[in-house]
Amino acid sequence: MTGMNENPLDLLPELLILLGAVAGLLAGLFLPRRRQRLVGWICGTALVAALAATAVAAFRPDLMAFEAYAVDLPTHVARATVIVATLLVLVLAAGWARDHHREAELYVLVLLAALGTVILAGAGDLLVLVAAYLLASIPAYALAGFAKDAAGTEAALKYYLMGAFLGVLMLAGVTLLYGLAGTTAYQDLGPVRSGAAGLAVVLLLAGLLFKAGGVPAHFWVPDVTEGASRVVAAFVTTVPKIGAFVALLRLATEVFAGLDTGWRPLIAIVATATMTLGNLAAFHQDNVRRLLAYSTISQAGYLLVPIVVAGRTELAEPALLFYVAAYAITNLGAFAVVLAVGEDLLAGYAGLARSAPGLVLALIVCLLGLVGTPPTAVFVGKVLVLAAAWDGGYAWLAVVAVVNTVASVFYYLRWIRPALQGAGPATVSRAAARVAYLAVALSLLLGAGSGALLYYGA
Amino acid sequence: MTLLAPLLPALPVVAGGALLLVRRAAPAVALLVAAVTVVQAVLAAVVRPALTFEVFTGYQAGLAVDGLSAVMVVTVAVIALAVLVFAAGEIHESEGRFFGLMLIFTGAMLLTVTATDLVLLLMAWEVMGAMSYALIGFRWRDPGRVRSGTLAFVTTRAGDLGLYLAAGGAVAGAHTLTLASLTTLNAPWLHLVTAGLVAAALGKSAQLPFSFWLSRAMAGPSPVSALLHSATMVAAGAYLLLRTAPVLAATGWAGPLVAWAGAATALLLGAVAVAQRDLKQLLAASTCAQLGFMVLAAGVPAVAGGTAQLVAHAAVKSLLFLGAGAWLSTLGTQRLAELRGAARRYPLVGVTFGIGALALAGLPPLSLWVTKDAVLAAVDDPVLSVVSLAAGALAAAYAAKALITVWLPAPEQRDAAPLGLLERLPLPPLALLAASLGILGLPALFDAWARLLGAPGPVPEAGELAWSGLLALAVVLLVIRARGAFGEIGVLTGWLRLEPLAVAAIWRPLTAAARALARFDDHVIDGAVRTVARAAKAAARIARSPFESGVDGLVRAAAGGVGRLGALARKPQTGQVHTYLAQATVAAAVLAIVIVLVR
Repeated sequence: MTGMNENPLDLLPELLILLGAVAGLLAGLFLPRRRQRLVGWICGTALVAALAATAVAAFRPDLMAFEAYAVDLPTHVARATVIVATLLVLVLAAGWARDHHREAELYVLVLLAALGTVILAGAGDLLVLVAAYLLASIPAYALAGFAKDAAGTEAALKYYLMGAFLGVLMLAGVTLLYGLAGTTAYQDLGPVRSGAAGLAVVLLLAGLLFKAGGVPAHFWVPDVTEGASRVVAAFVTTVPKIGAFVALLRLATEVFAGLDTGWRPLIAIVATATMTLGNLAAFHQDNVRRLLAYSTISQAGYLLVPIVVAGRTELAEPALLFYVAAYAITNLGAFAVVLAVGEDLLAGYAGLARSAPGLVLALIVCLLGLVGTPPTAVFVGKVLVLAAAWDGGYAWLAVVAVVNTVASVFYYLRWIRPALQGAGPATVSRAAARVAYLAVALSLLLGAGSGALLYYGA
Repeated sequence: MTLLAPLLPALPVVAGGALLLVRRAAPAVALLVAAVTVVQAVLAAVVRPALTFEVFTGYQAGLAVDGLSAVMVVTVAVIALAVLVFAAGEIHESEGRFFGLMLIFTGAMLLTVTATDLVLLLMAWEVMGAMSYALIGFRWRDPGRVRSGTLAFVTTRAGDLGLYLAAGGAVAGAHTLTLASLTTLNAPWLHLVTAGLVAAALGKSAQLPFSFWLSRAMAGPSPVSALLHSATMVAAGAYLLLRTAPVLAATGWAGPLVAWAGAATALLLGAVAVAQRDLKQLLAASTCAQLGFMVLAAGVPAVAGGTAQLVAHAAVKSLLFLGAGAWLSTLGTQRLAELRGAARRYPLVGVTFGIGALALAGLPPLSLWVTKDAVLAAVDDPVLSVVSLAAGALAAAYAAKALITVWLPAPEQRDAAPLGLLERLPLPPLALLAASLGILGLPALFDAWARLLGAPGPVPEAGELAWSGLLALAVVLLVIRARGAFGEIGVLTGWLRLEPLAVAAIWRPLTAAARALARFDDHVIDGAVRTVARAAKAAARIARSPFESGVDGLVRAAAGGVGRLGALARKPQTGQVHTYLAQATVAAAVLAIVIVLVR
């Protein structure tokens, strides 16, 4: 270990996002309602600057800042993915919140939640993890109730109660682990031999599964996705997952590995339950938001697979990072289509192929992407995940994932079918449609460029 | 200047294609293009451009203007210009189509005579055949014309297959496609290639046994006949044989065969010409006969004499057909009996036609007298000599028959339209050429001519010249004395019954075989396929009842089961927070128990 690294510039992307949030908040306080769009530009600029800083940082050697924050490949990927996804959400939000009297708050809350997510991904200390959990969660609760309508308020309350309850469990897990190991920094946590370690793993998982939307902490996902505004739903089902899964990866390789517990079969059970329950519950949904919500639960199940084999195979890390980035882009694309069309029921998509063929094409690419169809990015991610499971000795988990994938085709196609049939007039939001096209293009580019990306990543 | 080689055929082809599409100001454009082509041809004859490229990997192709090609391109270009000037006066329907096709036709001929390899030659050869079909059937609304075009096309096409055979043989035998390297071929391939070339050339040149298609080709407008019978199409066959005369000589058998085919055609089709009652048919048969001398020249070989014959004949025959066409358009007839006095009504046409006819008869000092003897001088076989001489005498007879008919006073005055300037314009220059090309026979000029062609040949001897001239004169005088009245023999008037013969001997058996094969296909092969399909369907029916319903049931049961599971999976989602929290707690507790148990 080489002396302590305390250079704040190592956290430049995070600081830039924070700066953007603070500046946006201050500007929002003083700007008239009609000019609050400026805050969106401030936040967007901060994100672009953070992205640039991330790109620069990616070419520097890995390091551990303040002994509590890892700046390495997973963090770079999480930063870039969160920033790009948040930028897409900002564009979607700008169309929805135009001239809302609290427009500035929306952008700032989104930015703060994104910041929490990035720190969640980079946390190298259990206390930082807890702080990041709170930073990622609390703005999201506020966002869920942003519209101040009955459904949104209910969603916000459910979200908050679930988050608070599971957060407390996680805090208990952190406390337990601190008591067992005497430290909270990942790098100092030595091998712990205690029966209580297993309990600590379960308690820690409770909080992170809440952020990830996995069983048994998934209950908030369908209710919030349906109750909150569509933009917020797109954000909370996509962005926090990125941080949660990278944090899980880090925990699994650096903390769980040192614990004398059967955490791998445990997470394998959770993964199986998550993907199966998500898929089965999505089967006969007539509300596309609930359908997408359950779809994100099943995707969380696939994403848990590389966590199971983390540390056992070289493929686990690239599989998780690629899948999470691909999933974020594709899921946002699907939500962008929902926003563009403005319909929640499957029947509302009838005849869309006539009135907006481009949008239907985008929808098809996104949904088939979520299934894992070449040449989209999720396909590559899924192949990597399956290979990692196979390589790590969890072949049965790979089989479960494949069976689930086959089953999932059914409900995605249930959405595509009405869109290709009949005729119905539909007015389409241009800005959201453009975001959908952009997401589709990114997904296809990521899929096509996967070879080069994985090569240089390695 | 290399560019001139592809430009020479490309200009008329491209312009013709454009005319087919645009169809504006067709005669003017066609005349301009033809005039430029004449300039280009003369330039090419002087500069001798050559272009080589690789057409397939390892196979050279090219365009080049050598001595023979130089003569050919100038002849083709000049005759095409003369014919197009006449056509501009006569054709006033579908001008874009007519002049477009004529230009492509001319361009294809130019490509044929400049190609140095079999690929380009074959392409041009085929395009020329297709254009001849379209031009013979130009007035396609009239009954029978399209059939005539088809017959001509199919007949020449049958011969053309030989060219494919030759190309295939050249590739298989020597991995080459260039004409110059054909002589280097080894035994089996050399004979195969030569047989193919001879078949293609005899077909195109309407030699025996293919002659009948030329009779059918008369269905086209007169300018088409004038071009098709002189410098293009039929000339292409003669050109190909003259070009490949060394190959013919190398085989040993092909030279005599070709010589005899030419001589026989000259004799028999000469007799056919004498027996015709229709001016255009007479001229058509005479074309076959005159081309016979060129084919004879290729077989002997006497390339210099044959080429001279080709050039002189091109001028003479285009002149005669334009004259016949002028009378057809003004008097509305081409029957010899009704053409009496035509020459007196139209003196310019009459005089020029007369010069052409006298040249055709081989009268001294006109062109064909000299060129024909340049060919005959090289014939060694005495029997062949006699046949050729007899053919020459027949030429004098049919030419004199045409001449005396049109110059005899008319029995009654018929209505007649005046002749336009454009139609009169090309006649005097062509007549001048027909009369004067005989100077090639002067020993000094003939040497230069032979050097130009790179093919030394015997100079026509004075004695032979005098003898054949006298013979022609005697025959002409006899015919004039008899006022062109011949007893007509049915077989000869009917072109030796070649067409019915070909139909009966080749066409009918072919179609009968095709019908029989079609029946075989319909009943036996198709029947077998249908039986297989019926059997498969029957097997499928048998398989369906027990098996498929089982599989189907399995799938349905699986789908139903999964659907019920889906409903079950939504049960925990009560919408009430306290049940959520309770479930999460229970699940966490279960997980804790699991991890303690499985450690």
